[in-house]
Amino acid sequence: MTEWFDFLVTPFHYDYMLRAIWVSAWIGGVCGLLSAFVTLKGWSLMGDALSHAVVPGVALAYILGLPFALGAFVAGLLAAGTMAFIKAKTRIREDATIGIVFTAYFALGLLLISLFPARVDLKVILLGNVLGISDPDIRQVLIISLITMVVLALKWKDLMLFCFDPGQARAIGLPAGGLQVVLLALLSAMAVAALQAVGACLVVAMLVTPGATAYLLTDRFGKMLWLSAIIGVVTSLAGAYASYFFNGATGGCIVTLQTLVFLAAFLFAPKHGMIASRRRIRCAATPSQS
Amino acid sequence: MISNSTPSAPLPRLDVEGVSVAYANGHLALHDTSFQLQGGTICALVGVNGSGKSTLFKSIMGFVKPEAGNVMINGLPIRDVLKQHLVAYVPQAEEVDWQFPVSVWDVAMMGRYGSMNFLRIPRAQDKAKVEESLRRVSMWEFKDRQIGELSGGQKKRVFLARALAQEARVILLDEPFTGVDVKTEEAIIALLRDLRSEGCIILVSTHNLGSVPEFCDQVVLINRTVLAYGPTSEVFTEQNLAAAFGGVLRQFHFEQSTIQEHDGRKIRILTDDERPLIFGKDGHLEYKDRGEHEELLKKRSEEHD
Repeated sequence: MTEWFDFLVTPFHYDYMLRAIWVSAWIGGVCGLLSAFVTLKGWSLMGDALSHAVVPGVALAYILGLPFALGAFVAGLLAAGTMAFIKAKTRIREDATIGIVFTAYFALGLLLISLFPARVDLKVILLGNVLGISDPDIRQVLIISLITMVVLALKWKDLMLFCFDPGQARAIGLPAGGLQVVLLALLSAMAVAALQAVGACLVVAMLVTPGATAYLLTDRFGKMLWLSAIIGVVTSLAGAYASYFFNGATGGCIVTLQTLVFLAAFLFAPKHGMIASRRRIRCAATPSQS
Repeated sequence: MISNSTPSAPLPRLDVEGVSVAYANGHLALHDTSFQLQGGTICALVGVNGSGKSTLFKSIMGFVKPEAGNVMINGLPIRDVLKQHLVAYVPQAEEVDWQFPVSVWDVAMMGRYGSMNFLRIPRAQDKAKVEESLRRVSMWEFKDRQIGELSGGQKKRVFLARALAQEARVILLDEPFTGVDVKTEEAIIALLRDLRSEGCIILVSTHNLGSVPEFCDQVVLINRTVLAYGPTSEVFTEQNLAAAFGGVLRQFHFEQSTIQEHDGRKIRILTDDERPLIFGKDGHLEYKDRGEHEELLKKRSEEHD
């Protein structure tokens, strides 16, 4: 019994594990909050695009010795601006626009990294390295996610209205364009933060899966918001913890866990789950006994 | 009734002056469009698909910036008017994401955001206004329903309640009767009449010609520009409608009427979906509730004298 207990608490004996666990949980929670907006606005693809488009910014920042968050943030907003510009000026559809722009930025990032291989590690950017995260990087992640959380806490109703009905937002004098920029900025900011935890390839899972899971579980936005935050915190915390036993691949552990939670909701959600809707169809099909 | 129905509230005024809007490809969606409306009217915006109805709505809401001309409400540019949340828009059903996790109550409360504080925390007066609005459209008992679980007519009424909660003075409705049952249609018309008597400007875009004479006292007929506007009886003539719709309308001529004096000159027409538009002898419009309508017109002409 005590052997088992000792075995299970070993990760907590290591400083780097403790740090990885709480940093991941914190990032997962804020990404979870944001994912509620991303899934409802239909910006999942946008989240994926931004998480790849920030790579040249991160690479350039490391090469020049600037804070990586700054480079990533600028690159993310530039990418979003490029997409909006191409969409407005041509007849190309949005998905094609996103496809062109994010691969262009990502390719530029790869090029930069291969030109300066000593300064940046491609593997760290693509797969994340929360186990070896440095103190300045932790500080940046904390600042980014704190700002995101404050903005969401103060303005979540305006952002909800913007996601639901941008026309009504404008009609009552809210700056709909401004709200869009705010949401995009938060999205690129959190893409950068999540990059540290799970890497560019898996960022989109952190920004979509918790929201999508919560969406299956409730019909009220407020509830969806805290559900997705909790899912984000718990899966990231448990994923980082479990990664000790799997020897690395923190991102893989976190996202696998999120997928499992999503699958559970997909099957067993009380109202929108597959089993519940099957049962409803069966009930409707069989004539009542009365 | 509470404050919004006080007759002392100033009547709104809508001026559309020479508005031209161009698409990205350079084609004009609207050209030199002008009309004025005074408070206390239900005005129909009638035209074929692609005649610029929704573009006109968007320019009145300030969503598109006209290439030329401007839209003023109460003599103020639209940007300033939106800050006073005087203009409400009731969208078409297709424009709304019905799976969005919000309840009937949440949607009506969205009408109050403009007058709430920075954090949008509802005060007692906001809650009271939302309750009053939901009761007025008979949706109070559905307040906790997710909006996707409503019928077509109920969905429409929720968004009407939002416009009521907003205490808007200019209300734009986009095809309010599509996908709505006859009973709800009548309830909506009754509500719009109440709002008219409270002094609101109601602008209804519709391609449903038959309902227009019944509840609209004015008509703006458009096809990329204003073809005619004014009182329904003057604008809704066969000639004007032919100009607006061209060959689009289906026509039935009854060359030899069987209606006799001893039938009381009554005629019954059944139709499967839309209301037919019926011209009587000498191009006179036929519609229900003619009495109330004519009384209003008489009252208005007395006011102007």
